[in-house]
Amino acid sequence: MYSEKKMSKEDTWRTEDLLKHMRGHRYDDAFGNKQDHLDMDDNRKARRGESGDRRQKTSHKERDGTEGKSKHKDLDKGRHRNDTQGRTTHRDTEKDRDRDRTREKTRYRDLDREQDGSHERAKHKDLERDREQDGTRERRRHKDLERDRDRDDGTRERRRHKDLERDRDRDDGTWEKIRHKDLERDRDRDDGTREKIRHRDLGRDRDQHLRKDSRREKAAERDRREPERRQEWEGIEKRDYDKGHERAEKEHRKTERRRTERDREYGEGRERERDREKDQERWKEKDGYKDQGWGHSIKQVKENDQSKDKVQGMWLEPPNEHRRHKDGQHSRQKEDKEYKEQRRKEKEERERRRRERERREAGESRRRDKPSGDGEEVHREDVRRDRERRKDDRHREGRRGEDWDPEKALGKLTAGSQRRSAQGDSEKPGFGRRHLAEPETKIGDAEVSWVSPEKQGEEEGAEEYEEDFEDYEEDFEEADESDEAGGSDEGGAGGGDGEQMSLQQRKEVEAIRRAMEAENRRLGSVQSAPQMGECEEAGRDGTPDGAVSCSKTTQQGKFIDFVAAKHREMSKKMASKQKKRSAELLRLVDLDFSVTLSLLDLPPLTEYDMYIKSFGSTDTKQAYAQCREDDVDRDVQTEEVETCDRWTQHPADRGLVCGGPGLTSEASDKQTGGESLASQRLAAFLLSASQVMTVLLEEDRLERFSLCKPSLQRDALPFSDGSLQLGSGMPFLHGREVSLMVFSQTQRQTVLSVHRPSARPSAVYLDSKTILCIWNIWEPSCPQKILVYESEVSCCCFGPGKASLVFAGTAVGSLVLWDLREQSSLHCSIRIGEQDWTLRYPTFSTDAVLAASGHLSPVVALEPITPSTAETQRNSFPQLPWQEESSGMSFQLGSLDEKGVLNLWVAVELPRGDEAGSHINLGLRPGGKVKLLHSSAVAAVRRSSPLEALALDSIQSLLLKFHPSDSNHFYVGTDMNLVYHGTRHGSRSPPMFYRSRKGGLSPVRVTSLDFSPFDESIFLVACDDGSMRLHSVSSEAPIMEWTCGAGGSTLSARWSLTRPALFCTLDPAASIICMWDLLQKESEPVAMEKVHPDRITSMAVFGDPSKQNSFSGILLATHSGQLEIHYLSRNWTAPGHCELERLQKLAGDVY
Amino acid sequence: MDERCAAENTYNIRPNYQHKFKVGLVKECMRQVLKEELSGQRYTGDSAPQLSTSVADCIRKRLEDMGFDRYKFVVQVAIGEQRGQGIKMGARCFWDADTDGYVQELYMNDSLFCVAAAFGCFYY
Repeated sequence: MYSEKKMSKEDTWRTEDLLKHMRGHRYDDAFGNKQDHLDMDDNRKARRGESGDRRQKTSHKERDGTEGKSKHKDLDKGRHRNDTQGRTTHRDTEKDRDRDRTREKTRYRDLDREQDGSHERAKHKDLERDREQDGTRERRRHKDLERDRDRDDGTRERRRHKDLERDRDRDDGTWEKIRHKDLERDRDRDDGTREKIRHRDLGRDRDQHLRKDSRREKAAERDRREPERRQEWEGIEKRDYDKGHERAEKEHRKTERRRTERDREYGEGRERERDREKDQERWKEKDGYKDQGWGHSIKQVKENDQSKDKVQGMWLEPPNEHRRHKDGQHSRQKEDKEYKEQRRKEKEERERRRRERERREAGESRRRDKPSGDGEEVHREDVRRDRERRKDDRHREGRRGEDWDPEKALGKLTAGSQRRSAQGDSEKPGFGRRHLAEPETKIGDAEVSWVSPEKQGEEEGAEEYEEDFEDYEEDFEEADESDEAGGSDEGGAGGGDGEQMSLQQRKEVEAIRRAMEAENRRLGSVQSAPQMGECEEAGRDGTPDGAVSCSKTTQQGKFIDFVAAKHREMSKKMASKQKKRSAELLRLVDLDFSVTLSLLDLPPLTEYDMYIKSFGSTDTKQAYAQCREDDVDRDVQTEEVETCDRWTQHPADRGLVCGGPGLTSEASDKQTGGESLASQRLAAFLLSASQVMTVLLEEDRLERFSLCKPSLQRDALPFSDGSLQLGSGMPFLHGREVSLMVFSQTQRQTVLSVHRPSARPSAVYLDSKTILCIWNIWEPSCPQKILVYESEVSCCCFGPGKASLVFAGTAVGSLVLWDLREQSSLHCSIRIGEQDWTLRYPTFSTDAVLAASGHLSPVVALEPITPSTAETQRNSFPQLPWQEESSGMSFQLGSLDEKGVLNLWVAVELPRGDEAGSHINLGLRPGGKVKLLHSSAVAAVRRSSPLEALALDSIQSLLLKFHPSDSNHFYVGTDMNLVYHGTRHGSRSPPMFYRSRKGGLSPVRVTSLDFSPFDESIFLVACDDGSMRLHSVSSEAPIMEWTCGAGGSTLSARWSLTRPALFCTLDPAASIICMWDLLQKESEPVAMEKVHPDRITSMAVFGDPSKQNSFSGILLATHSGQLEIHYLSRNWTAPGHCELERLQKLAGDVY
Repeated sequence: MDERCAAENTYNIRPNYQHKFKVGLVKECMRQVLKEELSGQRYTGDSAPQLSTSVADCIRKRLEDMGFDRYKFVVQVAIGEQRGQGIKMGARCFWDADTDGYVQELYMNDSLFCVAAAFGCFYY
């Protein structure tokens, strides 16, 4: 509708302007109010009057005529007076008839509008009635509003501001209505155009809101207009009629009747309308109440407030208008508010009316009590009081207005005249209303119906009176003089009230002014658009009253700021309220960060999922697959390889090619152990058995050849029983000279022969070596064992005890020994000819090992030391034979070299031999068990005197013999024809040496020294000069001494083992063997036998002393290397009776 | 002033138990909506925005009809194509855990997935 207007500084009120306007408005307002009230009163009175008339006509006709008359009189009087005045005014206004016509038109329009408004209101009421059926809410609201009003001035003022604001803001209807009031007020001034504008505006609004009702309303309007017009005409008529009092009354009644008739004529159509119009009427009545309420409030103490309200209303008008344009859409809501306001007013009105009624009733009752005139008087007094009050107010205000603004007073006068002129018209709506209200009043209010006649008159009078307050005083005096006291009282009270109100008013005005100043100050910089908007509006109106409207609009524009401030204040209040609330709430509410919510967590699909999704069955998932991958079986078909350790060697040693530790070797060891045990026993058995067998075989052979052999040998030797040649067929012994032959002393049949290296080479490699042969004389064909040594052997001997050990002294000063118990497998064998011969190398040799302690010159003699018999007996313990055999040989051995050094050795047998050789026992052959240890060294030849010492240096030791029973004494033959006597331990025993009787030293080599086996104290010494001596051990000189021819020599002289007095000698140069028997011939041999041409190089005697006859003989070795055994004949072997005593006696005789 | 004092105590800062945001109901409602709106739908890039807004509106209307007094609702609907990709969605709220709540519902078919989240905030 209207463009939005903005506020500006220009729009804001300046204080003086504001004040002025305020005053002006106040004046206008008060005036308007009054007029309004009058109008309203007019309306009401007219209505009541009419109804009263009717009632007078209908129901109260027959009632007291006096009263009616008196009233009529009064009325007539008033009317008469009024009539004149009315006429004058009529006349005055007659001039401006045209203008009045227009005004009338506008009024019609106004009325139409009002009626439209009422329609609208009615409609609203219809709408609202549903809501309001209980009415409690509304009433409550009214009460609230009333309560609001009862509050203190400031708040009330504001509240009212607000209320009014609200009303005007929101409610076009109210606004309209208010404006109607305003218009009614201003109507007299000149607001035709303005009304038009407003009408147009309102019409526009109405078009918006009420288009649907427009048709119906128009019809209603038409219907209504007709009676109104008629009433107008009637009103004029009436005025005319007023000239004629009674006629007027009658005419009035007539018109009334006519009207009712016409009403009847209207008939059904009107009846139809009437329902609707009833509503309207009802509302109008209420509106009337409200108006009356306003009026009443003005009449009563609240006048000031009312006027103030009006003032404020005026102020607030422009913003309302402005706001209305803005908030046109909210009109419906606002209308509700309007209704509330109306309701409130209605209520007030109702109360007022009730009070009034009471008062009237009181008055009426009085009147009824005093029908003569009291009631009338009372009533008149009431009327007068009202009038008085109104007059006071008006007078005061008017005076004030006059004081302030004379122009306005003039305006007021003109307004008053205008009003007066309009007053007649103003009746018309009232009449219309009355007319419409007729049925209701007929039906309902009995009180009103019987009160109304007087009232009508009274009010009519009052109305006319009030219209012209110049005539107020006289009118007042005329009206009633009797009740002046009460009236003055009342007036005084009213005046007091008025003063109080004015004070209050002033205070409020001041408060408002202050507020506005503050407001202006605050709004120093706000724009001025609203004014322009207003001006535009004014310009658009294009009416002659533009200035007025403009001034109004400026006022309105200026008021925008105030409203905005209000609004702001409100919003601020609201904000602060909100803030407070939120603060309180925040204390109670605790906000927190909730944990992060996971709305969706969808993992991406794997390839497998995609596969399953596209090809697998839905809603299934493959957890895992089983394919027996882990079901593995293993089978091994190869068998375990058995391993064992073995050793092997080449060439095979002792038949062992391989061997090794472990089970098999142990088993073999055990086997071999068992076997060895068995084989040892077998070997022992076989050995003995073979010996027996061989001996038996030899005997058999000997017996077979004995017949021829003795024949062969018999001629050779006379004392021989027979002879036997040993090893005749041995090729390697051929050509070798036998240097030595030694019989074992325990085994008498065993003989050892030493064959010197051959001068001419016969065999390939044995020529340079000395060969020793062990012979058994019972097996002469071949030697039992063959021992080999690299160098020349100078001497040899058997060990003591069994003939199992052979010792030999060499020309290089070393000693060697052979252990004959060693198996032949340990020794190498060579094949010579057709037979295999085992050649045994020495088991132990001192060649390099004991060179320092050994001999530095050739060993000439070697003799085992047999334990002495005494010692043997002393520590005799029974020795087991095998023990004696195996380990019992720990014996000493003496060796003598050429320098006369006697070394004593100990032969030690190890418990077991080491086949692999020994690191400790150096010089021992691998597998050998017997070795020699050097024990001590003794100088065999002692120097007894310095003279002899020189000689002794050159003495060469040649022979060594131990005493057979006492091994401590030894006897050494030298080359100086001396035999030394020495001992191993202790002091020397005499004689120091044995020499011949010829005395002195002579270079004669002692070639043989032999103790007699039967008497150990005598020994026989032979020398190479051919002499022989028989010595006793105890004397230096010999017992007997034999010298043999010249040139002869004795190589050896041996005692016979079977005959103690027989001994034989050998002269190697002549090869003569001499047999000596001391019992037969002391000085010459018994027999001398020249053997054969071969030179005999050695001779040995064998025989067993225990078996005298069976076995005794001599073994001869020839230069050609032949060994011949000659068995002695019986007479040479069997000893004679007491041969030993005779020999001992002989020897004793010699000494 | 007496009126105002009285008025101050009239507001309530906690929802009634009957009007409290009930997760189970809302979830069921959302499930129904999603099922109705999306069953048999295939994802197309053009229609997805309209679809999501329509679903969100539908859920919101239903929630408003469920009579949670003084509650404000925020409904978020996300519709996406399903091609085996990984998705993560999260939310974080600063609120009063006593009164406020949220419900999340997921709908999936071969072609699309839809995540709907409704947050209910109590308006004191």
